[in-house]
Amino acid sequence: MAANYWESTQRRHWQFTKDELAAMRQRLEDEDPGLVQSFPLPPLRHLNIYFNQQINRLGKRLGVRQQAMATAQVYAKRFYTKVEIRRTNPYLLLTTAMYLACKMEECPQHIRLITQEARLLWPTEFHNQDTSKVGECEFFLISEMNSHLIIHQPYRTLTALQADFQLNPEEVSLAWCVINDHYMTDLPLLYPPHIIALTAILFALVSRPPNASSQGSANAAAAAASSGLSAATAALAQAQARSAMNAGGGGGGGGGSMPGTPSLTPQSSSAGGYGGSDMSSIAAMDVKKAPEQRMGKVQRFAGWLADSNIDVTAMVDCTQELISFYECHEAYNDKNTREQVNRFMKARNL
Amino acid sequence: MSRSRQPTRAEVSYQPRSYPADRGTGPLGYTSKVRVQDRYKVIGFISSGTYGRVYKAHGKQGQTGEFAIKKFKPDKEGEQINYTGISQSAVREMALCSELSHQNVIKLIEIILEDKCIYMVFEYAEHDLLQIIHHHTQQPRHPIPPATIKSIMFQLLNGCQYLHTNWVLHRDLKPANIMVTSSGEVKIGDLGLARLFQKPLHSLFSGDKVVVTIWYRAPELLLGSRHYTPAIDMWAVGCIFAELLSLRPIFKGEEAKMDSKKTVPFQRNQMQKIVDIMGLPTKERWPLLTTMPEYSHLSSLQPPLSAAHHHHHHQHQHHYQAQRQASGGSHLEKWYYNTINQNAGGAGPAPGAASLQSLGAEGYKLLTGLLEYDPEKRLSAAAALQHPFFSTGDKVSANCFEGIKTEYPHRRVSQDDNDIRTSSLPGTKRSGLPDDSLVQPRKRMKEN
Repeated sequence: MAANYWESTQRRHWQFTKDELAAMRQRLEDEDPGLVQSFPLPPLRHLNIYFNQQINRLGKRLGVRQQAMATAQVYAKRFYTKVEIRRTNPYLLLTTAMYLACKMEECPQHIRLITQEARLLWPTEFHNQDTSKVGECEFFLISEMNSHLIIHQPYRTLTALQADFQLNPEEVSLAWCVINDHYMTDLPLLYPPHIIALTAILFALVSRPPNASSQGSANAAAAAASSGLSAATAALAQAQARSAMNAGGGGGGGGGSMPGTPSLTPQSSSAGGYGGSDMSSIAAMDVKKAPEQRMGKVQRFAGWLADSNIDVTAMVDCTQELISFYECHEAYNDKNTREQVNRFMKARNL
Repeated sequence: MSRSRQPTRAEVSYQPRSYPADRGTGPLGYTSKVRVQDRYKVIGFISSGTYGRVYKAHGKQGQTGEFAIKKFKPDKEGEQINYTGISQSAVREMALCSELSHQNVIKLIEIILEDKCIYMVFEYAEHDLLQIIHHHTQQPRHPIPPATIKSIMFQLLNGCQYLHTNWVLHRDLKPANIMVTSSGEVKIGDLGLARLFQKPLHSLFSGDKVVVTIWYRAPELLLGSRHYTPAIDMWAVGCIFAELLSLRPIFKGEEAKMDSKKTVPFQRNQMQKIVDIMGLPTKERWPLLTTMPEYSHLSSLQPPLSAAHHHHHHQHQHHYQAQRQASGGSHLEKWYYNTINQNAGGAGPAPGAASLQSLGAEGYKLLTGLLEYDPEKRLSAAAALQHPFFSTGDKVSANCFEGIKTEYPHRRVSQDDNDIRTSSLPGTKRSGLPDDSLVQPRKRMKEN
């Protein structure tokens, strides 16, 4: 169904386990070991970061909304689970993903404009591409995605839940940044959007308010997140313990895999678990009690999780993935990554 | 298609080979994994429209049933040498049809991207409402059996409810787009204008300036509303209900064309047709009426003639005074009872056939609920399905042809153009202004 995640092609065809993902990538490499050996690539994590940044750069040039950029990110990720990177011109693919995502997210950009901007952005890498190449690549992209073009994003869940968790503007924007950052990882191919959104909210709740750039780069979130890591882990553990008790032998925290119990879909934000009066008393608290208030929110969040059917195990894993991503991000070297990508492109005349 | 290629210098270091996945982004062109002509045998041409053409086909590889293959022309006129990008409406239709699955929405079988063309393969439906309505206008003109109407309406609403609960607006509901299978199942088709409406990035207005074929266009759209809702589909469903009853479009206005500056004119003639039957809308019944961008045009419309459906005067002995009324009240009730009674005697239904009179007062209530001026008060699909119209009287059948003897003619399939791959026609980009050229081969007969 179009706007129901539980029935979506995303859940049915594009949510993988880590093992599945690894096997798919291995299969691609095994198709042509010679190619793989001739052109070593940076670690996948670094490539992910690099591609993410290229899409964002193009998107910013075009003034495209976050949602369309996010959809382009997912298109590119899906495509590269099916096609070996070394056989493609990644800049062409990323441009095409953006072009298609803009149409899908109802903010179409002219193919000529996108091509032109891509050429200005990557003068050498994109120099022999034109609109017809983008149009052709669009066929390739849609075909590899089996025409599954509707992407459910975590932003919507975040927006829907911000009132329920009484998130203040800083918390919302921090959670928003964490969601932006997760497109640099495999998480969009591993977990449903609401798990991502809830994890991002947890990150926001356990973090100290970032003093630095509220633009919220990965680093700000990273620093914030690691400082609150123990709190996050504790909250999740608490939620897990409580939901295990509640379930009493039932499916426990496995809600994410039970299509019959969509306790939290992107459009249903009303999942209960606490009384409204409690929340209003929180809201009425003195602003100066901020740290206390924050811990109160974390407790409440954990309680809410325990009473829901949310897959807390998935959230724990999601949290760990993000933490290790933020650590890995420190070691990321843009120049090396770009050089390695451009090497195989040049050598193979892509 | 050959996939061999010249190895570049860097590749000489290892065994060159063909790359099954090397399609599109490498130096080699994109080729489809699946080819239309390997999978399907085209048995004829069904129709053409601004988007391209539709063919009827059989499976060649053991697929059961029949198929309708919709071939999109690339987004540009003339012969295609280069890729030019897929039109947004094709992208929407591909995306939505891949997600949707409901017994009252036409089922997508597969999409094949081949040779710069898009082929969407759907389950085949033998009939559509335009064709069924047309069959009943043939002499002797005879109404569609009430049980058939009831079943069609229920299934149509059921499909709409599914679309709407999934945040999909169809935006182009009309008889030609409502398919009916030979087993009497109603299937909503042609989602080329459909869109998701859950928190759109832009106002739904900003994309396509005009939607919905003019006769089925809701009053809020005619009055320039920018934030429309599923209620626009429900107005169209009301118009289709009326057309099933009377065998004529209830509001058959003439479209004012866009001017050279591409500004959308006020559709005065269409609005007048609505007012002729429904009376002038009032702010008492429709509180937001005065906020409509084109509200000022309303004052220039004529209040309804007291004879609401003057085009029926041949069958009627009633001679209403052709006098403009100041009150502007609705004539829909009169329209409804005249319609369901008109075939009660004389050249009415065959002996023993049920009369439309059996639809009774509940039929009127449903119709008036769907043709409600205020979109907020208009029946939703879910509410309409709960309407007593469906729970009283004859039971609703899942087969709209149940118990009727009429053999509807099969869809006309022409042999003029059987080559799905080479046929070329001046396909133009769908401008957002759908027209009836979509059903050209079975053009609506001139009435009267």
